[in-house]
Amino acid sequence: MSFIDYSQELSVVEGKPPLRSLDDLISKPLETRPDKKFYIALSITLSMLGLFVIGLGLTFWYGVGMWGNNNPVGWAFDIVNFVFWVGIGHAGTLISAILFLFRQKWRTGIARFAEGMTIFAVMTALLFPLIHVGRPWLDGWLMPYPNQHGLWVNFTSPLLWDVFAVSTYFLVSLIFWYVGLIPDFATLRERTSGKIKKVIYSTFSLGWRFSNRHWQHYEMVYLILAGFATPLVLSVHTIVSFDFAVSILPGWHTTIFPPYFVAGAVFSGFAMVQNVLIFVRKIFNYEHIITLDTLEKMNKIMLVTGSMVGYAYAMEFFIAWYSGVQPEQFTFLNRAFGPYAWAYWIMVSCNVITPQLFWFKKIRRSIPVMFVVAVFVNVGMWFERFVIVVTSLSRDYLPSSWAYYTPTLVDAMILLGSFGFFFTWILLFTKALPVVSIAEVKAVVDDAQPTHKDH
Amino acid sequence: MNDNRNSKEVKKDFWKSLKDYNNDPEMIRIKENEFLEGVTNEFDESGLSGISRRKFIALLSASTAFAATACTDYRDKGEIIPYNKRPEEIHPGKANYYASTCNGCANTCGILVKTREGRPIKIDGNPDHPVNKGKLCSKGQAGILNLYDPERLKEPMSGGRKSDWKSIDAEIISYLNDSKISNKEIALICGTVVSPTVKNLFDDFSRIYPNTKIYPIELTGDRIRREAWFDSYGTYDYPAFKLDEAEVILSLDSDFLGVEGNYIENMQKYTTRRESVDKLNFNRLYVAEGRLSATGMMADYRIPISPDKQYQFVLMLIKELVKSGSSVNLGNEALSIINNTSVQVNADKQKIAHLIRDLNSNRGKSIVIAGDTLPKEVHIAVNMLNEILGNTTLFDFSKSFKSVLPFAAPDQISRLIDSMNNGNVGVVIHLDSNPVFILPPDYGYQAALKKVTATVALTESENETSTLCKYSLPVNNQLESWGDSNNRYGVYSLQQPVISPLFNTRQKESVLLTWISGDAASYNDDLYHKYLINYFNQNIFTKANSMADQKSFWYSALHDGVVLFSENKNRTPFNSGAFKIRKESDREKGFTVHLTESYFLGDGRFANNGWLQEVPHPVSKITWDNYAALSPSTAVSLDVEMNDLIEISVNRKVLQLPVMVQPGMSDSTINIELGYGRTVIGDVGKNVGINPVQFMSKNNIDSPFVYTNATVRKVEGKHKLVSTQEHHSLDDTFVKDFHRIRKIIQEGTVENYQKDPHFLHANKHEIFGITREHKYTGVKWAMSIDLNKCTGCTACVTSCNVENNIPVVGKDQVEKGREMHWMRLDRYYSGTPDDPVVSNQPMLCQHCDNAPCENVCPVNATNHSPDGLNQMAYNRCVGTRYCSNNCPYKVRRYNFFDFRDHFADEYYQNNLTSLINNPEVTVRSRGVMEKCTFCVQRIMEARSNAITEGRELKGTDVVTACQQACPTNAIVFGDSNDPESKISKLREHNLAYHVLEELNIKPNVTYIAKLRNTHPEGN
Amino acid sequence: MSDKILYSYTGIFDTPDEIIHAAGKASEHGFEKYDVHTPYPLHGMNKAMKLPPSKLGYVALVVGLSGALAALLLMFWMSAVDYPIVIGGKPFFSFPAYVPVMFEVTVLSASIATVLTMLFVFFKLPNNAHPLHDTDYMKKVASDKYGISIQAEDKLFSESSVQKFLNECGAKEITAVYYDNDEIAHKHKILEPKFIAFLLFTAFLTSGVTYFTLNKLLFMPPFDWMMEQAKLNPQSVSEVFSDGFGMRKPVEGTIARGFTPYQFAGQPEVAEANLVNPIPVSKEVLELGQQKYDTFCSPCHGYYGEGDSRLRGQFPNPPSLHSEKIRSWKDGRIFHVITDGQNIMPSYSGQLTVEERWAVVHYTRVLQRALNAKESDLQ
Repeated sequence: MSFIDYSQELSVVEGKPPLRSLDDLISKPLETRPDKKFYIALSITLSMLGLFVIGLGLTFWYGVGMWGNNNPVGWAFDIVNFVFWVGIGHAGTLISAILFLFRQKWRTGIARFAEGMTIFAVMTALLFPLIHVGRPWLDGWLMPYPNQHGLWVNFTSPLLWDVFAVSTYFLVSLIFWYVGLIPDFATLRERTSGKIKKVIYSTFSLGWRFSNRHWQHYEMVYLILAGFATPLVLSVHTIVSFDFAVSILPGWHTTIFPPYFVAGAVFSGFAMVQNVLIFVRKIFNYEHIITLDTLEKMNKIMLVTGSMVGYAYAMEFFIAWYSGVQPEQFTFLNRAFGPYAWAYWIMVSCNVITPQLFWFKKIRRSIPVMFVVAVFVNVGMWFERFVIVVTSLSRDYLPSSWAYYTPTLVDAMILLGSFGFFFTWILLFTKALPVVSIAEVKAVVDDAQPTHKDH
Repeated sequence: MNDNRNSKEVKKDFWKSLKDYNNDPEMIRIKENEFLEGVTNEFDESGLSGISRRKFIALLSASTAFAATACTDYRDKGEIIPYNKRPEEIHPGKANYYASTCNGCANTCGILVKTREGRPIKIDGNPDHPVNKGKLCSKGQAGILNLYDPERLKEPMSGGRKSDWKSIDAEIISYLNDSKISNKEIALICGTVVSPTVKNLFDDFSRIYPNTKIYPIELTGDRIRREAWFDSYGTYDYPAFKLDEAEVILSLDSDFLGVEGNYIENMQKYTTRRESVDKLNFNRLYVAEGRLSATGMMADYRIPISPDKQYQFVLMLIKELVKSGSSVNLGNEALSIINNTSVQVNADKQKIAHLIRDLNSNRGKSIVIAGDTLPKEVHIAVNMLNEILGNTTLFDFSKSFKSVLPFAAPDQISRLIDSMNNGNVGVVIHLDSNPVFILPPDYGYQAALKKVTATVALTESENETSTLCKYSLPVNNQLESWGDSNNRYGVYSLQQPVISPLFNTRQKESVLLTWISGDAASYNDDLYHKYLINYFNQNIFTKANSMADQKSFWYSALHDGVVLFSENKNRTPFNSGAFKIRKESDREKGFTVHLTESYFLGDGRFANNGWLQEVPHPVSKITWDNYAALSPSTAVSLDVEMNDLIEISVNRKVLQLPVMVQPGMSDSTINIELGYGRTVIGDVGKNVGINPVQFMSKNNIDSPFVYTNATVRKVEGKHKLVSTQEHHSLDDTFVKDFHRIRKIIQEGTVENYQKDPHFLHANKHEIFGITREHKYTGVKWAMSIDLNKCTGCTACVTSCNVENNIPVVGKDQVEKGREMHWMRLDRYYSGTPDDPVVSNQPMLCQHCDNAPCENVCPVNATNHSPDGLNQMAYNRCVGTRYCSNNCPYKVRRYNFFDFRDHFADEYYQNNLTSLINNPEVTVRSRGVMEKCTFCVQRIMEARSNAITEGRELKGTDVVTACQQACPTNAIVFGDSNDPESKISKLREHNLAYHVLEELNIKPNVTYIAKLRNTHPEGN
Repeated sequence: MSDKILYSYTGIFDTPDEIIHAAGKASEHGFEKYDVHTPYPLHGMNKAMKLPPSKLGYVALVVGLSGALAALLLMFWMSAVDYPIVIGGKPFFSFPAYVPVMFEVTVLSASIATVLTMLFVFFKLPNNAHPLHDTDYMKKVASDKYGISIQAEDKLFSESSVQKFLNECGAKEITAVYYDNDEIAHKHKILEPKFIAFLLFTAFLTSGVTYFTLNKLLFMPPFDWMMEQAKLNPQSVSEVFSDGFGMRKPVEGTIARGFTPYQFAGQPEVAEANLVNPIPVSKEVLELGQQKYDTFCSPCHGYYGEGDSRLRGQFPNPPSLHSEKIRSWKDGRIFHVITDGQNIMPSYSGQLTVEERWAVVHYTRVLQRALNAKESDLQ
């Protein structure tokens, strides 16, 4: 098998830094004590996490009634958050797998971090299916295991597909991530002097020796994993979209959902990664590793996916009109002009209009602007899920059962808290593991690869 | 040595190996230890590998052993206590039924009380009762909750302190004797008297205490009607109407299908003329009313007209109809009035024309009914109108409404209050009556009451009156009492207790008997029981001239719950002199306030009944409140909308009420329901709504219920009215007529049905699925609901609530849309805001064959039973709510909280109220989805009965709770696999349709499309 | 030093080109047991070392396919064979719905299997006891140098020749790497007190948690699967009633539907006068009567009605049923006594239905007749 041919391309890592300096730079956060800024950031995220815990505590103690959900609107913030976070979790694997298959070497600088975010995002997402049920202590029943009732689960339920899809996605991403980490653990093992650190790194590096006889299989596995992860990452949000597409509710029962959801997921995922990376590269001085070009490329992807999402919005309306089904048609009119019009227009302006700014190179390359745009995109994508879930439910077939949904304080606490949960993990990650793949970056430094003059 | 060993070995005729044979010393050495090399040697700790398997496994097993022992202990599931002597009629686990009489209102329908192990758990109508024929209204059914009301008065109170019966009785008796000596009045205030025995008891009481006066008073009821009848015919007993024989019915503000007269009886009779299934047999209903009442919803033609204009309206009709003659001879006086008074009625000309033509062409086959709340003059005029049209043929005198004891007239009450103020009243006894709340304030009853030394209230729970009384004495609930009723001619129904008093309460009649005896010690529990039997034997037994002996006749009467005998009065002619020209008050300016009886709270006596507070209003679907209903245009002119507060002032009395914009109301009319705004009552009913009795006045020109010249102004602030249905303004084009567009409601007119019986399915698409269907052998359950017969009375809803342990969720939760009713009544408006067309539709789980809810449940908690039920395994449900999201009818209900625990801080979470719950139905915990089960517990009971009797289960064996309660038998339930069954015929009927048929989910609830009996368009 | 066992000779190179070149030379030279160590995979190295392509792909293929198949079979068995339930009118085996799960299982099993095979089968990892660890060589190749290591096990290996070879390739810092003795000699002491203490601790923890969960937690609402419901089942206690009996007696004098009360309570004479035995005597009736008599009456009255109680005087013995008085009683009177009780004899209306009572009456007659038979009976 042939390994990626980097030799012909432009430099991804600027200014040909000596390899050892990369070691030093990337492992610096791990070897220095966290500074004041870190603790401030951590205290903020932890207090948000505190809200999360309180919100969940109240929910467990009194019941789901603490939320705003009502009879027509059985799902609201809970599932909105779930879909939102799963979406965020799509960038990582996409970058590390799909871009890998496409030989996009600029991914190397951001892959590790993106994968990390994937894992934390999916962890956050996984919480919501678990807590949104009325009797969370029975969540285990969603797993098909032999029991004294002789009962099995219902394999026709999209919710069950979700259980499999999301957990698989989580595990595979974790494996992928870990496999990538093994050589770096080894490098750290060789660098470190501390006894405990040594033990830890040795354990995790499994005694990796940089042997080329290993590298050979290693690359093979990496390729296979990438090959699996690619359909997987597409399947996950497809299946999440089945939660809606497979139902009979007007506004949910839509065949365009799978591609539309995947595009949206990548869209929001990249926005979130970009947001975070902007800080990371500044704080850890990775400007030459996570270059402006990389960020620009991400913005381009956002532009593409954003436009796809916009197209999907338009197409939904067309199909609804074309179907000639009155409830279907009304649902979409209702989105745009009904009681939830405000949410709908927030969504459109954030997801469709804002990213169009990325047509301009200046904006693509201006860090503050792209940051703001990405924030908008994240807000917009959250509202997209809100619009899909809540507006469709609040006005379905029988006008007699229509009702308006208003979230409660607990809903807000849990939404905010989920961000706390996510960012706490991110912060700990930056201090515990190399946020850039050392081995991979070295491989793409100029002249890091043989020239084969003698052949 | 060597040799002889050799010699020994040589003799050996076998060897292990050649070595052995050659006597290799090595081999010999080996042979010394019998084991082979390596098995036994070097057996020492140090040689062992790092881990000792034994030790390790030992430790493991130790830990598992710990775990195992931890699982062994099982907890005690509680005591089991059987009957130590089982009563003959009771079998644990089997229900008993007791015939009795309801006293929720003056109609005293016959009831059948279902008991389990001697505890009442449900009330249904008594099928043997000739008036209500086994049906019962929401009030009657939910009334059972009053028995288990945690805030019942449990102990006799004297001066606000707990006391004991004996001493209180003694004191009261002395008071009674004092006032006897000092010749002071003893006022006995009670509600409508329906029981001849009680009347007899009162007579006995007055015999002992001669200066006793009885004051039967009610907030609402048929007082005015009776008085008008008295003026017109010289008797308070007015006949029932043969609604089932009337071709045309005109209701003038009369809610005879809602809360007036015996509405259960009315509904049954009325809907016999809404027959579309077997034969087409329709009457025509005109309703001229100011509000939109339950009756108005059923009307073929509605004429919005303010209650104060009704006299004009009747007069107009009389003028028109007299032209073509009269079947009685009206005196000249009356004729002159008719001819010489000018009337102007502004209403839809065409409708009036239709009305007059129909009345003319149906003389003797039509009925005009005036509402209880209309002034006397209107009633008299209506009586005359019926005489003119010769409709008296439709009067049923054999079932006349009897006046056991006439109501106390306003002037009598004023006189009482005067003498109370003058100190001429020794004792005031409130016999389960609440005058402080129900008497118009300008009587000044409350003040007067303070002037009386001995004030007694016999009541079930503390109320506005009892708290002002010296003594408040707890009386038995109807389910703990003996009694009887004879409020209809020829119908004598008995009331028997089904459980002995739960608290230290006494039957109020027994208390009176004790006082009569003049000896506090003379009380015993079946004082009144004996008294009743005694009266029964003397009067009823003799009347009924039966073959049986007294005792067995009594027992059979008790068993049936009702005794029938012929009772008739010879009719008196109509006295046209009663018809007088009405002193018209200047009523062109200002608003008209119309006070009407609440559908569910009666005069407020049911205000503490959570179930009744939560049953949605039949028309507005609002719960937990009363409100000022305005017509849309009036609302616009006042610049108010739903939930805004308006300030209404009626002759210097001012109240603030929330606005409810009610389509179809007559303009500048305000409709407010009575019975709300109780102040002294349990937590459930306290300060729910506003008490419009404040408006009432003893000397009002119209009737106590209609007040003109009211002024209204918008005030700051809002009050959220919560309803179970979103309110869309009728002219909001965005959502207009969706129920018709989506074919949820499919209707037609009698005319086009006659023309084309298939009009409903004229353009029908063929629907098919891609998978083969499951075959259901044996019984397959299905239901059909005849929308021609559904009056939206909500009896089914309440019946379902009681049968299926449905919790009360409270106003805040209804506001969030979390009401738990498994069955709901959807109400849709079409037409214009001023003249809406109303459609009702009972909506419950449709038990679809291809149920969408089932596909999405991840744990199979909801799935299909072999007899076609869409069933819920509560205990398997983890509560994802996905099924509810995917249910196109949104009939699934979710326990967002443990509502028993959540409602009014655990109000119904107590051992007492738990007794009401049906042991056959799971009490669902929080986080669980639930929904209509087609009363699976009844199906299972029927099945087990069938099995024990060794026969096949038939569709007719099962009657669901809603079906049982439905007064008009609109609901039919049965086996759709049996081609002969009624249900499968209904499913094939021309008017049958399924809601959202096009989804191909194959619902098993069929609706029979409503037909409207309107005139052909154009002419 | 000399007692150490030699593992290999290592050489360090600075540039990728050199190491590629060296590796090429090594393979040409015919070394087999040698390896190249680089901080990151070098392009073309596999070719230089003439390594055969990796076989891991097959693992993924096989495991993936079997995962898919297993998933399909399991789902089929669960929902169509083991416990078929009608769900939304769909067929028991609805394949399209199974596709997503099949896919997920495929991916999951395949990726896990491949990675595990690589790490633990191909690489024999974890292996922190490898001689190359903790060497200066490893430090360098882990960071920015490229190294080659030729092992002593190689058949062409001899210290001198290898050193020479490495020099020819231009390797720097040629060093010998030895096995670490005490790593070889190292013994895992699994039975340390610490470890045992840990095991004990886990044992107690497990059992404690298990105990609490199974015996306490699962019986607390809302975890108790609705075992505690706010309703009263038959034969249970209720605090509402002072006597604690959840099951109540009907009120005196009330009539349940389909129930005819006994009219002559407390009036034996009236009963005797009015009641006539409605059931004709027959074999079946008498057998029923005997059965019921033996069950309910005989404990006190004795099998033959002689009043020989089996209760050993816990109750005063009843009089004999053969007394003149009782023989002279009409059936109605005996029925009355059974129904209504008499003296300390309680009513048996709860235990015996009306028919059974009459049957018992017949049987009593038989007993009486048997003890004092008439001549007529003898024929």
